[in-house]
Amino acid sequence: MAIRLTRWPSLRTPTLARHLVLALGAGVLLFLISSQIGAYDDYNLAEVAIFAIAAAGLNLLTGVNGQLSLGHGALMAIGAYTTSLLLRGRDLPLPLLLLASVASASLIGCLFGVAAARLRGPYLAGATLALAVGLPQIATRYSQVFGGEEGLTVAPPAVPAWLGADFPPERWLAWIAIVAALVTFVLLANLVHSSVGRSFRGVRDHEAAAALAGIDVARTQIQAFVVSAACAGLAGSLFAYWAGVTNPAGFSLALSLQLVTAIVIGGLGTLSGAVWGSIVLVFVPSLTSGMASSLNLPTSVANNLPLAIYGAVLVVAMLVAPYGIDGGLHRLVALGRARWAGASSNHKGVVDWDDPAGG
Amino acid sequence: MLEIDDLTVTYGPVVALDQISFHVPEGSITAVLGANGAGKTTLVRTISGLVRPRSGSIRLGQRDITRLAPESIARLGIAHVPEGRGVLAELTVEENLRLGGLWRRDRADRQAAVAEAYQLFRPLAERRSFPAFTLSGGERQMLSIARALAARPQLLLLDEPSLGLASRVLTQIMARLKQLVVEHKLTVVLIEQNARSALSVADDAVVLSLGRVVAHDRARRLASEEGLRHAYLGF
Amino acid sequence: MQRFVVLTLNGLTEGSIYAAMALALVMIWRATQVVNFAQGAMAMFTTYLALFALERGASYWLAFAIALACGLLLGAVVERVLVRPVESAPPLNVVILTLGILLVLEALAPMLFGGQIRSFPAAFSIVGLRLGSLQIPLSPFDLFILASVLIMMGLLLLLFQRTDLGLRMRASAFNPEVSRLLGIRVSRMLTLGWALAALVGALAGLLIAPSLLLYPTYMDQVLVFGFTGAILGGLDSPPGAVIGGLAMGFSLSYVGGYLGSDLETVGALVILIAVLMVRPRGLFTLRAQREV
Repeated sequence: MAIRLTRWPSLRTPTLARHLVLALGAGVLLFLISSQIGAYDDYNLAEVAIFAIAAAGLNLLTGVNGQLSLGHGALMAIGAYTTSLLLRGRDLPLPLLLLASVASASLIGCLFGVAAARLRGPYLAGATLALAVGLPQIATRYSQVFGGEEGLTVAPPAVPAWLGADFPPERWLAWIAIVAALVTFVLLANLVHSSVGRSFRGVRDHEAAAALAGIDVARTQIQAFVVSAACAGLAGSLFAYWAGVTNPAGFSLALSLQLVTAIVIGGLGTLSGAVWGSIVLVFVPSLTSGMASSLNLPTSVANNLPLAIYGAVLVVAMLVAPYGIDGGLHRLVALGRARWAGASSNHKGVVDWDDPAGG
Repeated sequence: MLEIDDLTVTYGPVVALDQISFHVPEGSITAVLGANGAGKTTLVRTISGLVRPRSGSIRLGQRDITRLAPESIARLGIAHVPEGRGVLAELTVEENLRLGGLWRRDRADRQAAVAEAYQLFRPLAERRSFPAFTLSGGERQMLSIARALAARPQLLLLDEPSLGLASRVLTQIMARLKQLVVEHKLTVVLIEQNARSALSVADDAVVLSLGRVVAHDRARRLASEEGLRHAYLGF
Repeated sequence: MQRFVVLTLNGLTEGSIYAAMALALVMIWRATQVVNFAQGAMAMFTTYLALFALERGASYWLAFAIALACGLLLGAVVERVLVRPVESAPPLNVVILTLGILLVLEALAPMLFGGQIRSFPAAFSIVGLRLGSLQIPLSPFDLFILASVLIMMGLLLLLFQRTDLGLRMRASAFNPEVSRLLGIRVSRMLTLGWALAALVGALAGLLIAPSLLLYPTYMDQVLVFGFTGAILGGLDSPPGAVIGGLAMGFSLSYVGGYLGSDLETVGALVILIAVLMVRPRGLFTLRAQREV
């Protein structure tokens, strides 16, 4: 395998080290920001982090492996319900619950992935669609166990004593979510740069060629599915804490579609895209409700404005993206910046899955 | 009746046709010859509108057809039998033939054209209500040519018609085409790898090499010019 | 036994609606290689328009006609304005486009018509028929459902198999390039294809509204079941779609009846996965893949 020499000396150091440094830096920065803002903003920050985890996982499946899933909301539900059920009346350590959710979602993701391993394009989309619409129904059916329509309540994680009595629980949850997100990102970034990641991309770009090159296409798809399900499970678990209640209504088809919207807006195949998309996903509803109240719009309009906007964004993005959505707006910005700077690499701080060497 | 003027076609950075100019007279058969990759298929695809040229023009009689859509060009009476035949495999033989001139108003004449196709191509008549994918390669070739003729075109573009055809059938088809040329002033542009047989049936010939016209003359004269034949036509 | 008969007849009527939805999806797939995920939402919207007309004093049949006409129009407009520009883009793009349309329609409906659950009238009585002293679990409305779906399919069959227009549409779907060489205005055929598919979807929306009740997301499950049926039958095959849709109707009815109605979609999921594991391209796909 040829060794690429680039202008970025830091790229010669191991990828993991580089990612860890970036993550650490980002973490410190975010903690600082989080300490300065109010509890409500911390709440939103947590939501962004949570969705970013789910979106990053979905982006791995869709942007890097090329398979569209419309069912990741259901996988989040699995994570959420695992945590909620285990937590009922018990006091279990948070990391254990997070891991349990990751495990359960990964398991379902694996089962589904194996079953759907040979499916492509619309067939896979259809199967995931059925997952999205069908899974929440199990909760309603077995309402004894799953709490039915009302769902299960979840108490937010207790703030540890050493942070002081005044420390808002929203901030603590935001910190947990941020750490979880950064850990996820580092792991995903390393995965994508590895040979497994390369086989993902190979399958996306030209499946027949990849198969001829010896890549087990079905296994690749299952792997991508399991990893993305793990992310969804983690996000779902945190979501349970964040929302305070886990019920079927919170994991409708709309959620799965919102995740798709997030990665489309943010940019397919880029890690930062997951973050951008999540930011949009979280702040559009508050923006629109603000707009709605100042314009005195009726509630039926106000409640549905976010979805209408997401839909419109998806439609417009597809109509307007001249190079296809691969990379999205982010890619266009990066391209423009690269041309302007005369360099051939992406700007620092962004891990571009598709261009690890920055070219 | 077909005027190609300074035509340039590019696929990205690749120049497929480089400022090609020639004229195809009405009521004649013009062979377009040359090695693989010379640009022959690109030429007819540009004429029929499937490919947009970078520059230059194509005129049918007085009419500039350079930037018309393929369906409009077809409705002007240009029938293109593509390389690979373009038979609609899931449709029946009859349906394929009917599609030939479906845009024409005269229903009775359309039916007559289909009937004539059956007369000329017996095997098609026998498989009339079978789906086209049951036909052999040669029969499909027959079908696509018959379908093109059913539209009663004024200009027929044939891309490698001899592929897969038994020579007897090919002779039969060529004879029929000659008849149409003489009686109805049909104009034919014929792309062929097999230069020898093409030159035997054509009136004029154009030789392309790497996107350029390297020879344009009466077929008989070209066939007798040994240097040219060896260089570009392989015999 | 009684229960089985009830479930079977129920499966038949619901299955015919899923068959209609499946057919609409397959029509669009064959013509443009796109899965129109917005098909259900479009049908939801036209049904709301019918309700709108009803509330303004229109008769049922007028509202019915309005919904169908709006379906035609909506399908044509969506194809022409939104899908046409992205025709040559990667398929993922078009799928996401249709998802966007789904979201917009599902958000627009409650904005325009209110989000609460509404009832929608049935054209005929929904009480089971009586044969002498015997009560059959089949109502006049059920018969209407079966009849309208059958008539719709019959008309489409006639159109596609027996008319010149239908021939042109089929040719355009099979090979757009060759069709253009034959003088066919392929883009018009595609628009017409979408319009007709939306018409079929609109019919499905009207027929199932009385039993599911009308609310913005009521067609989501119909889309899922129709899509599952279409996939079962193979996306390339209209008869397969119909059979697939009917099969879904029956299976879901039995699952719902014997195992509990909340498990229907899960049942659909299991059936789908099971079939696709064995035949990843559906049960009736004859042709080899078009790609490569």
